[in-house]
Amino acid sequence: MDAVRNDNPFAVAPRGDNPFAKITDNVSRIVEAERPPRAWYIAFGIALMLLTIFLSAITYLAWEGIGVWGNMIPVAWAFDIINFVFWIGIGHAGTLISAILFLLRQNWRTSINRFAEAMTIFAVICAAIFPGVHIGRPWLPYYMMPIPNQMEMWPQFRSPLEWDIFAVSTYATISILFWYMGMIPDFATFRDRSKTAIRRFLYGIVAMGWRGSSRQWHRYERAYLILAALATPLVLSVHSVVSFDFATAQLPGWHATIFPPYFVAGAIFGGFAMVVTLAVPARQLFGLKRIITIDHLELMNKILIATGLMVGYAYGMEFFVAWYSGSMYEGFTFINRAFGQYAWAYWTMIFCNVVTPQLHWFPKIRRNPWATWVIGVIINIGMWFERFVIIVTSLARDFLPSSWGYYVPTFVDYMMLGGSFGLFFTLFLLFCRYLPMVAMAEVKAFHPSVLSHGHGHGEHHGESHDAPVAAHAGH
Amino acid sequence: MSSLKKFKPLYWRSLAELENTPEFREFVEREFATPLEQVPPNSPQRRRFLQIMGASLGLAGAGCRWHEDKLVPLTRRPDGMTPGVPKKYATSMEIDGQAVGLHVTSYDGRPIKVDGNPRHPDALGACSVLQQASVLGLYDPDRSDTVKRGGKASSWDEFSKFAKEHFGALRGKGGAGLHVLSERSSSPTLADLRTRFLQAFPQAKWTTYEPGHTSALRKGSELAFGKAYRTLYDFSRARVIVSLDADFVSHLFPRGLANARTFSRTRTPDREMSRFYAIESTYTHAGAHADHRLPLPPRQIKALAAYLDAAITPQAKALPELGAAQPSPDAAFLKDPKTKKFLDAMVKDLVGSVGRSLIVAGPEQPAEVHAIAHRLNALLGNVARTVLYVEDPMPDDAGEDLAAIKALVAGADSVDTLLILGGNPAYATPGDVPFGAALAKIKNSIHLSLYEDETSSSSSWHLPAAHYLESWGDSRGMDGVVSIQQPLIAPLHGGRSALELLDLLLGNDKPDGFELVKRTHQQTLPDERALRRAIHESMVIGTTGQRVMPKLQELPKVALSEAELGAKSNGYELIVALDPKVHDGRFTNNGWLQELPGMFSKLAWDNCVLVPMDVAKEQNLEDGVLVDLSVGGKTIRLPAVVAPGQAPGVLKVTLGYGRTHAGHVGGLKSAEIEPVGANAYLLVSSEDGYLRSGATIQKIGGGPRLAMVQDLYAIDPIGHEGTAERLHQIVREGTLEEYREKPEFAKERVHSPPLLSMWKPPTPYEGHKWGMAVDLGKCIGCNACVTACQAENNIPVTGREPVSMGREMFWLRIDRYYKGEPEDAEVSFQPMPCQQCENAPCEQVCPVGATMHSKEGLNDMVYNRCIGTRYCSNNCPYKVRHFNYFNYNLDVIGITPYTPTEDPKMKIKSMVFNPEVTVRSRGVMEKCTFCVQRIQNVKIKAKNEGRPIADQEIRTACQDTCPTEAIVFGDLNDPKSLVARLHKQPRAYELLGELNNRPRVQYLARIKNPNPELA
Repeated sequence: MDAVRNDNPFAVAPRGDNPFAKITDNVSRIVEAERPPRAWYIAFGIALMLLTIFLSAITYLAWEGIGVWGNMIPVAWAFDIINFVFWIGIGHAGTLISAILFLLRQNWRTSINRFAEAMTIFAVICAAIFPGVHIGRPWLPYYMMPIPNQMEMWPQFRSPLEWDIFAVSTYATISILFWYMGMIPDFATFRDRSKTAIRRFLYGIVAMGWRGSSRQWHRYERAYLILAALATPLVLSVHSVVSFDFATAQLPGWHATIFPPYFVAGAIFGGFAMVVTLAVPARQLFGLKRIITIDHLELMNKILIATGLMVGYAYGMEFFVAWYSGSMYEGFTFINRAFGQYAWAYWTMIFCNVVTPQLHWFPKIRRNPWATWVIGVIINIGMWFERFVIIVTSLARDFLPSSWGYYVPTFVDYMMLGGSFGLFFTLFLLFCRYLPMVAMAEVKAFHPSVLSHGHGHGEHHGESHDAPVAAHAGH
Repeated sequence: MSSLKKFKPLYWRSLAELENTPEFREFVEREFATPLEQVPPNSPQRRRFLQIMGASLGLAGAGCRWHEDKLVPLTRRPDGMTPGVPKKYATSMEIDGQAVGLHVTSYDGRPIKVDGNPRHPDALGACSVLQQASVLGLYDPDRSDTVKRGGKASSWDEFSKFAKEHFGALRGKGGAGLHVLSERSSSPTLADLRTRFLQAFPQAKWTTYEPGHTSALRKGSELAFGKAYRTLYDFSRARVIVSLDADFVSHLFPRGLANARTFSRTRTPDREMSRFYAIESTYTHAGAHADHRLPLPPRQIKALAAYLDAAITPQAKALPELGAAQPSPDAAFLKDPKTKKFLDAMVKDLVGSVGRSLIVAGPEQPAEVHAIAHRLNALLGNVARTVLYVEDPMPDDAGEDLAAIKALVAGADSVDTLLILGGNPAYATPGDVPFGAALAKIKNSIHLSLYEDETSSSSSWHLPAAHYLESWGDSRGMDGVVSIQQPLIAPLHGGRSALELLDLLLGNDKPDGFELVKRTHQQTLPDERALRRAIHESMVIGTTGQRVMPKLQELPKVALSEAELGAKSNGYELIVALDPKVHDGRFTNNGWLQELPGMFSKLAWDNCVLVPMDVAKEQNLEDGVLVDLSVGGKTIRLPAVVAPGQAPGVLKVTLGYGRTHAGHVGGLKSAEIEPVGANAYLLVSSEDGYLRSGATIQKIGGGPRLAMVQDLYAIDPIGHEGTAERLHQIVREGTLEEYREKPEFAKERVHSPPLLSMWKPPTPYEGHKWGMAVDLGKCIGCNACVTACQAENNIPVTGREPVSMGREMFWLRIDRYYKGEPEDAEVSFQPMPCQQCENAPCEQVCPVGATMHSKEGLNDMVYNRCIGTRYCSNNCPYKVRHFNYFNYNLDVIGITPYTPTEDPKMKIKSMVFNPEVTVRSRGVMEKCTFCVQRIQNVKIKAKNEGRPIADQEIRTACQDTCPTEAIVFGDLNDPKSLVARLHKQPRAYELLGELNNRPRVQYLARIKNPNPELA
């Protein structure tokens, strides 16, 4: 086990002096407490309010038509698709942490993977709502599914939107499976610690008869590995496919081969920013500072620097290619992006996504939780503006100057944007309250005590369900 | 309601009803839960109610009158009628005394589409936006349907009773105190009735008033020839054309449609091209095609005309009987080197094309300018070649309308009975003529009009008029030819025509328009056959005015004021003109016309003051800034729009806006609907007419976002540079010289790498391969095609707010680009329908296959499949697709097909729909289909007749109405078809062809013919 650590200089195990029981206590306590902290109630109240706004906006939209938004011709996509791409992007960190970092043996991920995965799922739910309601006739989205029907209609598979359907739904399915499967041992712990029959019954059902036997652990580990391997390409594919919506179009500013890697880097960037944005208050609120440590935050901040530089490179490269292509329209689009009518959005994006992450070069800043949080929020804003810049500025001024326009969002647009955060946080807060926020079993596997004592798990025999040490160590 | 007490319903709506409680009974009796009187007038509830229900309930409580008839099947089908097969009938529409011959398509008895009559000399198959949109006016739910007396519902019977007594009494007095006010009309039947009327009422007075009418044409002819003749132009023979502030191709110009046709034929390099010099104050449709253009304030054109006379006479070797030339005026502006060079070259050109030149003066110019133009045309030997004169069919019409209406108002005290036949003088009179106040004082005023308008509301009687498509009539064209106005439908609202009303007042209880018209023409149309033929063609053969070769009189020296010599005065010059869309205000309630963008301003749903660059700079104005425009102590507030190419110090504003009693579209005070635009009649003066000096502009700032369909001219510098950079690739233009040297110059404007595609060409296009060619050298930007498309394809009107957001629905738009220095800008028009790309970017991205490629190469829209992702629009480089952001037809088609509207007025409104085109609901994309329904109709017809489709047998709606034949549609697989030949022209090019979309529309580059001396 030590070998693993030493081989990989980035490997950081959860620190602190928790014995296993304390880890379990620490995490289960949140769920088992009679009442969540007052801050949870306040946050949940705000989230519910935003969710209500979201649902009212959707109802109004469905009743009146897309016209309640500011979308028009030429900017036929605006907040709807911006929000979609934004949320899909957020959803990337979860799978990246669960799958890719797992395969790369980045064991420090165990402290944060559970809620990063939860975040992924909730973000995908938020994202999926937008394409569903943004169509002109929201009662007919099934026309896009390949369902044999008496109308002899069949989807048109050359359309990237069609590819989106499959990419996003596959991603959502795998993410949910991965997340749920990972929670099974923890559900069993909850079940076993339950003091009421209802709790025992409910957690018992979702624990699916987990007993913690070696055979179960063996199957579990195999399945986890397979799902991780399946999910890994999805991290790259989903946002690549989403970027095809733009890259395969003819529009200057969209039609670019750099889009798939650029979008993936951006998604990871935004996703990690969201993870730190959520992790900092969560560890504060639920007393998980010893599980999600400053070291974890620092590592994530380093990833933010790396991916931030990648998107910065993409921004620069777009300009270079626009100039190098010699296309008048392409060149204009980028000059217009930076200095035209939407320059304010462009420079907001540059400030948030390229300038701000550079602060993380200073250890003092990247090891300060609240500075981390502020920068995380700024990056999230920046990533939203990135999609705004790509979608709106390109559409607003395309080939023929006669069709140029200027997009102005309406109140309903803002309601939908703000409201989607309501949905996200409502789900997230419910998750914090009722589900294991930290993967107890996995964290223990890499606990220093385990790592330093070798097969010392025997000492903690009392918590038989959550010690998959052998399995992990076996790799 | 007493029966309710015993009544126990079998089906019940509420428990209260079942139990028949007193509350319920009261509720039923009250009908409305809260009586309207109890709702405060400003509460949103009341406003909403009025807006929604205003159209359906007569506001004075008259209720609606949905005429019901029992349906009886036709045991014998009327000859020539097949249900479901549209038929065309000839008729004519008269505006300002000018007939335009029309062919109207009728579908099962309801007229749905208007086109020009190809045989009518003033139409030549074309028609303008006004005719195109008139069919919407026919079905306007705001049209008046009730006779009203003192604002209360009455009936024609009651009016007949009143008329019998009142006019009987008047007849006894010889008609003393009786005054008739009519619109200008060339109708022989009306003239006949007028004579009879004045015989019956010898002391009655008759005034003709037509807003915007000037007597300059007539007086100019009198000045030049001593008699009024009508001037007809034949541009097709002209090689050098000079316009003195004349928009001779505009539909507001006498015979403008025909002029547009003959003029445009000289604008292609395939024949001998004309060279056109435009000297004008504001940009005109004709001026857009000028090879050389000189912006000049309107008053200075008189001095310039005198200068031309002075310069040309010595060179033209004039016959002595033509008299002496005007002395050359001593004006500084004529000595400006640029102007001097322009004029010298132009004079040289004119003198070098004797008999093949043409000088046209605009109706806004004073009579002297017209007289000089007549003289110059005679000097240059153009008479009987490019200029023709015919006898004026209405020799008694003095045309001094402003003076006449002023006299009428001044003498209003002596008027006891005022009969107003059409028109809306309470609104459409100059600011210094208080017609409304005078009208209110007149004891008996009778107003016949289509709407209950400003005039009706202060008249003692309002009578609903019949629309021109509902009534018999006749009128004359510019050359005097009489057109019959044949109704296509019985009056929808029980209206009567002016002819029928006059006949009624003359004592005929059952006036019949047809009999009246028949009687007028019994000399020329003696038998049934001749009559039938005249109606069938809508023209009476042999009524064309006599051609004359008038003799020129010596023209006295024209007096030139300081202003006319170019002296700077205080304030600006202001031109108040008829609006090309809503005209004098009679079409203000027409949604199609309101939504139509102004050709230069690109502004819909508003009028604006067009300011030239110098004024914009001086006053720091941008597009859309609110200003107070004042002249002669009257002020109106409206937005400014910067107009490049407008003469310095000249402002222009159009009439017809700011109406308070137009209807739910144009403004209705009683329903709290704000007027559209500002009323510019206030700025007209009965003394100075429509051209005012000393106007001032006060910047107010702010103002709502304008409904401009094309980006504002004053866009940011980046957008401006980007436009300038790409314009030569989008609108390709060259000179004749360039074209001769390198005919394919337009194709070579864009270089692209070899074009490769991921997809195989969709189909081999066996059979037909539809395509279109648009000649940029011909398009004058008149908008007729846009409205024709709207009428043909059931395109909804969205309203001011959506247009200002960029949600207008036009399937065909006309792009307008300015080029060069703003003060001296050139303008180009580019009609933009769907390009029907072979390798269509929209088709590739639709996830549900709602836009598909047909075997004949059309991009078909399948509305039923469309779910509205709008991806197709994003990927369309031409942005010709439009999206139904809302259900724009909600009021007429209801929420779903199963819940149609039961509102009778809305049912009438829906009668305008073309049944062959789907009425789109909310959430679907739509776009130009190349009028696929017309293609199918002809295909079916040809198949039934077992013959191939002839070239030009299928004509799209836009092509049909285009006055300049700029749009040509046809089969590209037929090498002999016109469109195929045009596509093979060297100057044909594909717009954005470098994207490898393979558009099926090709543009023909505009070729200009500049004078080498002015290069």
